[in-house]
Amino acid sequence: MTAESVPTVGGAATSSTWLPAWFEAWFPVILLAVVGGSLPLWGDSFFGIIATRVCVYWVLVSGLNLVVGFAGQLAIGWVSLLTIGAYVASALTAGRVTPEIPAYVSLVIAALFGAVFGLIAGLPALRLRTFYFAMTTLGLSTIVTQIALAWRSVTGGGVGIPGPSMPVPFDTPWGFYYFTLILALFCTWMTCNVAASRFGRSLVALRDAEVAAEAVGIHKPGLLMTVFLFSGALAGLAGGLFASLQSYITPDAFTFDLSVLFFIAILIGGRGSILGPLLGTAVLTILPEFAAPLVQWSTFLYAVLLLLIVLLVPGGIADLLDFRNRKPLDRHREIRPRPELLGQVLGDGQRGSVLEIKGIVLAFGGVRAVDGVDLQLRSGEVHGLIGPNGSGKTTVLNVISGYYAPQQGSVARDGGDFTREGSYTRARRKIARTFQTPRIVGESSVIDNVMIGATTDGRASFVESMLSLSRHRRDEASLRERGMAALALVGLERIANVRADRLQHSELRFVEIARALMMKPSFLLLDEPAAGLSVDEIKRLGQLIEAISRQGTGVLLVEHHADLIFDICDRVTVLNLGKVLASGSPDHVRTHREVINAYLGA
Amino acid sequence: MKAKQRRITRRGLLKGSAATAAATLAPGVYMPAIANTDPIQIGYLPAFTGPSSSTGIGIGRGTELAVQEINAAGGIKGRKIEMVMRDTQSDPTKAVNAAAELTRRHKVAVMWGPLNSGETAAAIQNIARDGVPHIHPCWVDTLTDPKKYPMAFRNGPSNQQVGIGANHYVVNVSKAKKVAIVSDTTGYGTASLDAYTPMLKKIGGDVVYSASVDANNPDLKPELLRMRLGGAEAIMPWSVNAGFLARIINTRAELNWDVPIVGQTTLGSGQTKALLAKPEYWEKVYPNNFRNLSYDAQGQLPPQSVEFVERLRKAKVDFADTLLWWVALGYDGPRLIAEALREAGTAPADITAYWSTKVKSWKGVYGTITWSADNRDGFQQEEIIMVQANSLKDGAFKLAPGYA
Amino acid sequence: MLVESIISNGLAVGAVYALIGISYNVMFAASRVFSFTAGSVGMLGGVFGSIFIAKMGMPVVAGFLLTLLLGAILGVITEFVAVRPVLKSLDQHLYVLSTLAVALMIQQLTAIYFSTDAVPFPRVIPIEAGIVDQKFWLPILACIVTILGLEYLFRHTLIGRAFLAIAEDTYAARALGLPEVGLRMASYALAGMISVLAGFAAGQLLFASLANGPLLNFYGFVPVALGGMGSNRGAVIGGLALGLFQQTANYFFGGIFSSVAVFIVFIVVLLVRPEGLAGAATARRV
Repeated sequence: MTAESVPTVGGAATSSTWLPAWFEAWFPVILLAVVGGSLPLWGDSFFGIIATRVCVYWVLVSGLNLVVGFAGQLAIGWVSLLTIGAYVASALTAGRVTPEIPAYVSLVIAALFGAVFGLIAGLPALRLRTFYFAMTTLGLSTIVTQIALAWRSVTGGGVGIPGPSMPVPFDTPWGFYYFTLILALFCTWMTCNVAASRFGRSLVALRDAEVAAEAVGIHKPGLLMTVFLFSGALAGLAGGLFASLQSYITPDAFTFDLSVLFFIAILIGGRGSILGPLLGTAVLTILPEFAAPLVQWSTFLYAVLLLLIVLLVPGGIADLLDFRNRKPLDRHREIRPRPELLGQVLGDGQRGSVLEIKGIVLAFGGVRAVDGVDLQLRSGEVHGLIGPNGSGKTTVLNVISGYYAPQQGSVARDGGDFTREGSYTRARRKIARTFQTPRIVGESSVIDNVMIGATTDGRASFVESMLSLSRHRRDEASLRERGMAALALVGLERIANVRADRLQHSELRFVEIARALMMKPSFLLLDEPAAGLSVDEIKRLGQLIEAISRQGTGVLLVEHHADLIFDICDRVTVLNLGKVLASGSPDHVRTHREVINAYLGA
Repeated sequence: MKAKQRRITRRGLLKGSAATAAATLAPGVYMPAIANTDPIQIGYLPAFTGPSSSTGIGIGRGTELAVQEINAAGGIKGRKIEMVMRDTQSDPTKAVNAAAELTRRHKVAVMWGPLNSGETAAAIQNIARDGVPHIHPCWVDTLTDPKKYPMAFRNGPSNQQVGIGANHYVVNVSKAKKVAIVSDTTGYGTASLDAYTPMLKKIGGDVVYSASVDANNPDLKPELLRMRLGGAEAIMPWSVNAGFLARIINTRAELNWDVPIVGQTTLGSGQTKALLAKPEYWEKVYPNNFRNLSYDAQGQLPPQSVEFVERLRKAKVDFADTLLWWVALGYDGPRLIAEALREAGTAPADITAYWSTKVKSWKGVYGTITWSADNRDGFQQEEIIMVQANSLKDGAFKLAPGYA
Repeated sequence: MLVESIISNGLAVGAVYALIGISYNVMFAASRVFSFTAGSVGMLGGVFGSIFIAKMGMPVVAGFLLTLLLGAILGVITEFVAVRPVLKSLDQHLYVLSTLAVALMIQQLTAIYFSTDAVPFPRVIPIEAGIVDQKFWLPILACIVTILGLEYLFRHTLIGRAFLAIAEDTYAARALGLPEVGLRMASYALAGMISVLAGFAAGQLLFASLANGPLLNFYGFVPVALGGMGSNRGAVIGGLALGLFQQTANYFFGGIFSSVAVFIVFIVVLLVRPEGLAGAATARRV
């Protein structure tokens, strides 16, 4: 018997322990509220100031967490946004640029500035490789400090300016603490909501399985820009709070050490987690205060911690706290798909549609990988695509799914040409695919991986998800129900909550299929799905594919397993050296002389 | 950290602080020492590491010696004084945290420091809010304010005063009317530049160059060429960055330019000297300094300072690699604090009242201090003078030529 | 006078940036990753030189050789601690974090044990300052020597060609029996030596200072980014151009605006051509 058992109640997930689901999802908020709210009872006012600092930093880190931890963008110089927010808020309340503005309004404006500059800081991420982007954020933080030094009329230059003072009742130390605590709780809540939404899952997918993310319709620029905007806003707000905490800001308060603290807190906490970075921020802020001789060693120790985490526990604190994934899995798990559930998953397919591939020519440098290929894929048909290695099968698939634009030729559906449209548009056109090597987010659970498949069906906007409004909750419930149905279809519902990187290779292939089916695709492109499967599993895979096609979906099956091909395919196309060698019914192809010579053997 | 000699007291301080920190990890349990034999705790916020640490190290030596002497003479009516030290690392963020720890957790009777303007600017508000009497030596003008910070007093010159002294020397004493004034891009540098440029003009100087330059820039020739082009008869640099100041001096020599360099005290530090390409470049360099700690035309220190230097030597306090006035400043601070504690008691209002009313022409080694309820800047203008950098002997200098 | 000053300073500082850029490239060629340690180790070149020669009184040559040795050791440590373990993992981006951690550790240890202020760097060659002082032509000389040395290494020695082989195609090189790990360690040692050479040669120009670490890290990377990763020629041209641009902007606009100008140029070039002006486009993804 497997150890995991996840019943669904009305489509919403229930947790695998006795705690209610909302408690698990919002645990970081609850923890912060309980520990932080009770602080005056067990801590003195010095601890209060440290805790205020933790809250201020966490406001920034919670947003940065989405950028670094979820989207995987290594923004090392985020103190630049803290600086901008701090100076905006201070300059406005001090009346340097405009007549004096009340503190709350200045905080809002600081957040707006932070959002804009967060967007600017994030734009390079769309074009640059990781290291380059990290460098640009470093460069940006230096520039911001220099501008703060130079623009004396507004920022006071090197002398600095006083920070905003909060009005009653937040003007006392404890009052201000509660103000920052409330904001920190709100930010924790929002980011928990985003993490548990299709946006959070999409970010993680972009980070770890970008190619698959595009295939399910996740549009990287739009999503990344949204996250940078959000993260920048929180950082700007944190800057205003920081200035108030310091009561007076000078450029030398915005050190690179702070950037390091923010960044390392997330990595120590663990990517893809909210609780981990929260604990990480608290630990890194509090630790130097209680070990006075260690103060000058603090950044060194952060660096050592970072190195240890990277080398030993890349998952960070979150990994250490992930008790659920410590439970051993049953070794003898069998994959038993249940094709009879297809109707529930796919619904009524669109019949009578044709995917037309005409005259595709694709060359890499001097090599013509695909040299004039024609193919027709019809609804309800299983079309096999075979050929020796290097014949261009996967390349054809990649052209159809939009990863390569061919030099010549067209890909069209019912006459509508979409040859050159990007890969992320295929999902909208209900064309789904799987990959030669399973592209899965290892750190996410199986169900989360599957739910990504229907991302384009989500209706809630980012703001609605952030605030957990009703449309978001309806989305989540519906997606989860459909995801469980898809997993039940491929026979993997029992391991829905397991981390995907604990699965066997064959299970991952079926997870990919479940993910692809979530889209309710009209056309399904399978890239060597039988590779690495046992004989039994191949047989069940074949039955599943046949059932899928009977439901109305057209399936293009790239494969090496000749038996599977000739068993279930309605039509077969053979490629060799980028050209079509033969095309027709399985029998026709099987007995074709050239095919036998080139590929099948006598 | 340098100067490992008298680590005993510092290690003791560190150990004491660590032990106190450990004891206070159970927050809310610690109670301030109220018994009459317990040591009086004084908060001390130097920066021993980080970019502004050279001042901290120098001042620290004076402070240590003062505390040793006070305790050896019986302390405050039998109670020893104890410096509870937190290294601010030249970081205003850490200064705020450290000040809060000292005022709220240790409930120190008095705060001494921070020693750098940027850190004091951040910490002073909270110290004032917590109602702790506060002495600091920082120069930035806005760091005393009888209304905003009623318990804060300055035992050093204000930036204004330093500028007046330097400007007076350039324009009136050495009769150089066309002046080039340059600073680095730190808070201190830019504040000085902004303040002194109009002051120069007011006393009749003609400012032909006024700019802040990045201290990390390895080549200052374009800047000095611009100064020369403007006809400058004197260069006034304002920065505590020895590398920056050394580059100015070196570049002046490379250009074969003979104008006097008159400005920040650090022009005369051992650090600056070490960074000079040739020792003779140190001629015609006049840093500002303090009359009490400078050799007069006859080559003599004032008697009180002679005696102070003797005491330093006897206690084996090193001052060859720092500036004597830093050590003296560090020495005077605790003595002002101890005197108030002794005469007025430990109540904050009493200490503040004592400082406001009873400190008149107080003869410090560093300077003569006069405070009042309205004036928290105690230093006397006439004691701020310029000296010759290359006359450095035992941490002190000869007066610059031209003084009466 | 002014033009001469801008040119001599610009080329000198540019040569330092170029050397750091070459160090980045050598590490990249051996491992396909960039390391944050290039600039930090460069900073140590100046620090070590100052400690050995000025403080401890060693003769210049001995101090220099010892510095080179330490640079090589630091390079090997970087490879062993921060690069080798993460190359094996699936998540390729971990190298950014591990090399950042090592660079931070170097910076912090220097801050604690050495000094946070600038420290004097001794005069390397005991001759009088000529028309152009040695603090300007030493870095340029170091850069030329390095370029010529690398050319010779790659063209005419077996080990140099082995370096090129693992840079081109790791799998093929391994199949040929080349000791991949040993060659990578040697590459990193070489990169470490180039970095400390840069810092040492620039000692009189930049002084031995902690602040040089982040400075060299960023400004040493700009030539790599602009010139194309892996291209040493691009790094040299980019470095010299950067040095001249920076000093010119310094003069006309002051230090602050020159940094902003450099950064804007950096961003704009990268956004237009992410692979740099001389680099190759990225490989297949799918």
